[in-house]
Amino acid sequence: MLTRRLIVCLDVKGGRVVKGVRFEGLRDVGDPVELALRYEREGADEVTFLDISASNEERQTLWDLVQRTAERLFIPLTVGGGVRTVADVGRALRSGADKVSINSAAVARPELLTECAERFGAQCVVASIDARRDGERWRVHTHGGRKATDLDAVAWARECVTRGAGEVLLTSIDQDGARTGYDLALTRAVVDAVDVPVIASGGAGSAEHVRDGLTRGGADAALVAGILHDGLTTVGSIKSLLLASGLPIRSTT
Amino acid sequence: MRVTLFDYGAGNLHSLAKALATAEGAEVRVEEDPLRAVDTDVLVLPGVGAFGAAATRLAPGREAMRAALARGLPCLGICLGMQLLFESSEEGPGDGLGYFSGRVTRLRARRVPQMGWNRVEADTTLTSARLETVYYANSFVCRVEDASVVTGWSTHEDDRFAAVVRRGRVVGVQFHPEKSSAPGVAFVRGFLREVTS
Repeated sequence: MLTRRLIVCLDVKGGRVVKGVRFEGLRDVGDPVELALRYEREGADEVTFLDISASNEERQTLWDLVQRTAERLFIPLTVGGGVRTVADVGRALRSGADKVSINSAAVARPELLTECAERFGAQCVVASIDARRDGERWRVHTHGGRKATDLDAVAWARECVTRGAGEVLLTSIDQDGARTGYDLALTRAVVDAVDVPVIASGGAGSAEHVRDGLTRGGADAALVAGILHDGLTTVGSIKSLLLASGLPIRSTT
Repeated sequence: MRVTLFDYGAGNLHSLAKALATAEGAEVRVEEDPLRAVDTDVLVLPGVGAFGAAATRLAPGREAMRAALARGLPCLGICLGMQLLFESSEEGPGDGLGYFSGRVTRLRARRVPQMGWNRVEADTTLTSARLETVYYANSFVCRVEDASVVTGWSTHEDDRFAAVVRRGRVVGVQFHPEKSSAPGVAFVRGFLREVTS
């Protein structure tokens, strides 16, 4: 049986790790390679780099950073942010990423998911979906949450998988950085709609929130960032609670 | 000890090369030519890509590689690399090396690809490193004809499959040791030590 996964996300910009609140207000929190290695040692199951660089100059540092990380990190590494073309995905994989998450570019041109899956395999294509609650449903947003689309998040998740995505990274914009827990209804709705792993993201403020995302939300994996970077909890504490809750977890102690 | 990674395209080999290089005395090189790849002390078949494309790249050196393995060249096949040690695959056309008898077929599960960490049951592959929970990213698995070559099993949903096979100095692993954190790296080191001593 596959274990549930704890994934640590590092928002990177210009070669540094930063953290924002509700997609705004960035602070520097450290060196990406050192942080990734520290989280592996503490028992993280995967690391994700989300590149939020605004300029091409900043983005150039990403591939070098991915390669330096891949040479020392022995758990899966996902890279996302600003991935627009099949060539971008190829470059990320050659640099040492195991998976690439695609967000705005897939909304603009959904065929991109299929092209990447056919070329590199579905196992390295992650559909990243940013959703904001809109009445009884959730609306997909792009460009770091700034642009609303007409897409329903659950239907879009299903389409991404049909088109070749091997995993869905689902972020609640409403909850992101708020530390009041994942959007469990959104998570559950998408988990029930697709046959690939769903990663809950946005809103974890405690180990209990992570547990709830995996149990009540039904997610296969939970993505955490700020609560670890700020030292509010640790990978070990979260995993201990998950194990005590009876979830299948990779134990590293 | 010369350790050669046969690169049959598409590959991210950074982590694997670094994992191999942690072994004492290992000189790791990457070789795209299958004929030159067998001029080595240890051959490693990495795990990126699709069976059909890999078999095509392998074809010019297939007989030389088969002969080298038969003569006792130590070899580690990872994921697709393990599958290439078998005869054929329903994923695509072409011949594998046929070192192990059997065919590669799709996982019989609802969730394919299998993505994530899974347990290896009853691992007896090496004496110096024991596998427990390892990282998988695969849609296909090897169906062995002779279960005695299986040195570890895993189960995805209801499908029990060979996680590890070993015959002599040739080992195939369906998971990614280079992505399985410290225990995976220890397995790679243990393999190199045990097959070359």
